[in-house]
Amino acid sequence: MKLLRVSSELGDNYVMTYDQQGNKDVISFEDNKFEIEYIGPGWREGELLFKINGEVHRVYVDNGFIVIDDETIFKVDRITETPIEQGKSIEELIKGKEGEILSPMQGRIVQIRVKEGDAVNKGQPLLSIEAMKSETVISAPIGGIVQKIMVKPGQGVKKGDLLLIIK
Amino acid sequence: MPPFGKVLVANRGEIAVRVMKAIKEMGMKAIAVYSEADKYALHVKYADEAYYIGPPPALESYLNIQAIIDAAEKAHADAVHPGYGFLSENADFAEAVVKAGLTWIGPPVDAMRAIKSKLDGKRIAKQAGVPISPGSDGPVDNLDEALKLAEKIGYPIMVKAAFGGGGTGITRVDNQDQLVEVWERNKRLAYQAFGKADLYIEKAAVNPRHIEFQLIGDKYGNYVVAWERECTIQRRNQKLIEEAPSPALKMEERERMFEPIIKFGQIIHYYTLGTFETVFSDTTREFYFLELNKRLQVEHPITEMIFRIDLVKLQINIAAGEPLPFTQEELNRRVRGHAIEYRINAEDPLNDFTGSSGFITYYKEPTGPGVRVDSGVTLGSYVPPFYDSLISKLIVYGENRAYAIQAGIRALNDYKIGGVRTTIELYKWISQEEDFQKGKFSTAYIAEKKEQLVKYLKTKEQMKAALAATLYQRGLLKKATTASNSGLTQTQTKRSNWKTYGLMQQSSYRVMW
Repeated sequence: MKLLRVSSELGDNYVMTYDQQGNKDVISFEDNKFEIEYIGPGWREGELLFKINGEVHRVYVDNGFIVIDDETIFKVDRITETPIEQGKSIEELIKGKEGEILSPMQGRIVQIRVKEGDAVNKGQPLLSIEAMKSETVISAPIGGIVQKIMVKPGQGVKKGDLLLIIK
Repeated sequence: MPPFGKVLVANRGEIAVRVMKAIKEMGMKAIAVYSEADKYALHVKYADEAYYIGPPPALESYLNIQAIIDAAEKAHADAVHPGYGFLSENADFAEAVVKAGLTWIGPPVDAMRAIKSKLDGKRIAKQAGVPISPGSDGPVDNLDEALKLAEKIGYPIMVKAAFGGGGTGITRVDNQDQLVEVWERNKRLAYQAFGKADLYIEKAAVNPRHIEFQLIGDKYGNYVVAWERECTIQRRNQKLIEEAPSPALKMEERERMFEPIIKFGQIIHYYTLGTFETVFSDTTREFYFLELNKRLQVEHPITEMIFRIDLVKLQINIAAGEPLPFTQEELNRRVRGHAIEYRINAEDPLNDFTGSSGFITYYKEPTGPGVRVDSGVTLGSYVPPFYDSLISKLIVYGENRAYAIQAGIRALNDYKIGGVRTTIELYKWISQEEDFQKGKFSTAYIAEKKEQLVKYLKTKEQMKAALAATLYQRGLLKKATTASNSGLTQTQTKRSNWKTYGLMQQSSYRVMW
């Protein structure tokens, strides 16, 4: 079993556990589980067939873009593997990474609503970023204590920048 | 003979490109203006000539009247088309255009002044015999006054910016605490977007439909109403999906509105295009006036599809002094089928519709029967964080609503955009959802369906990431794990002698930024 963090080119971060059971890959998120089985090459050149939770999907890898069923595309920016800490549940492992709040967008910090040491609940607004004519509120993905705030009001941030850490 | 030699388009993105298409078709030259952030934008490449007007923030470029007038003079333009948003409803800009000896492709300046703000519009609507919602008669000066008035008319209320549009500075407020919270923020947003901070208050209709009527008038007092557009599927008071005609209206209900709308036009001697926005209650079957938009609408293509007319060419011809080419009866006879528009926004529906800026690294537009794409981007385009998130519009047409939805689902599946998040996946779900398919919805649709929507989108996202993890772990994904992503990847793919995919493989791109 491994802990994987898949970062997409869009700055999304997905934390999951990865396990191989026979010819199946079992990938677990905090609230979802996927059993993926590689069936083999498809009909067209470059096509791969996978069974995902019992359904067959056609997959291409095109210049680093993963094209699923000719409809959906996805591009990986980074994949990091973390060794599993003993004695922790999947939820705990995933949560540990979820406390790193990364900026989902390029923009400007307009307001920080918490300070270091504050206890926050899941869903509580942490700060707002302004871009594209609107203000976006970043909320806590988990409950915990604000350990460190890495940004200041008025500061410009890029997609994927670390904003704050909740433990 | 074309009506003008050169037309300057004082806008950017998809609407600038759309307007330029009409300009080119009419045998005229299209002039673009651009800010620092749009140096390599599609509308700049598409134009015959392009002029720099200032730094990225809109206030210093696309809202900078002097810079645009200077560009028009430099280009020897004959006319100015403002598109929508930015300066399109700004009477000072229209006047500056006229004073510079150019033709303003829009309503007369006096009419624009008469309904400068949404509040003036309400006053004239009353005069024309259109029902209006209770609220403040003028701008509300301060928070105390707002609190008092809200108490009087009762929550929920809408706090609205008196100037501008596009849902900016419009918030539904359910109680006193919320009002305190949004007041200053909306003032600031309104000022940043429109240069004016006036706010007013209106009683909020609970779960209405949002239906707008298209008024068209010429300089000789002739008017027609090109029916309506249903714009009910919204988020944050911004339209997402529009359709024409509305699945909710009977012929006599729509026709009941024609006369007061035309009367409104007559009172202020209006001409060119105007959009009469209303909320409509499914239960009382009543329309309430919201505002008159004095410009081309984002969703104009669905009207064009069902009437088979070109509203932009019509605007240009009317500005050049042409009379309306049809009567109301002739127009009514032209109606065919059903059209739907999906606004493709660079934003993340899973993250409260957060804007998503960046480079477009993968781009494949849908084509085929009944499909039209009005886009402001292409492969390699940069979506800047300074402007609206609308990057393109997918418009589909079918001989009836069910066929239009089928075309929509197919085209959405064919539309692939990489590099920025978009609303495409969201629209796939909506298009297949039962209530949407039945035409049963209100402006609360997105909020009501949020849970199912989030679940669908999240599962879809996680499935992609899970599959990526599998491909990576099994060594099937070699090129994808780059250390950083600076926008576009330069690729050198070997091409076999017999295979030519229409994919990105042939386009080694480099964007200087």
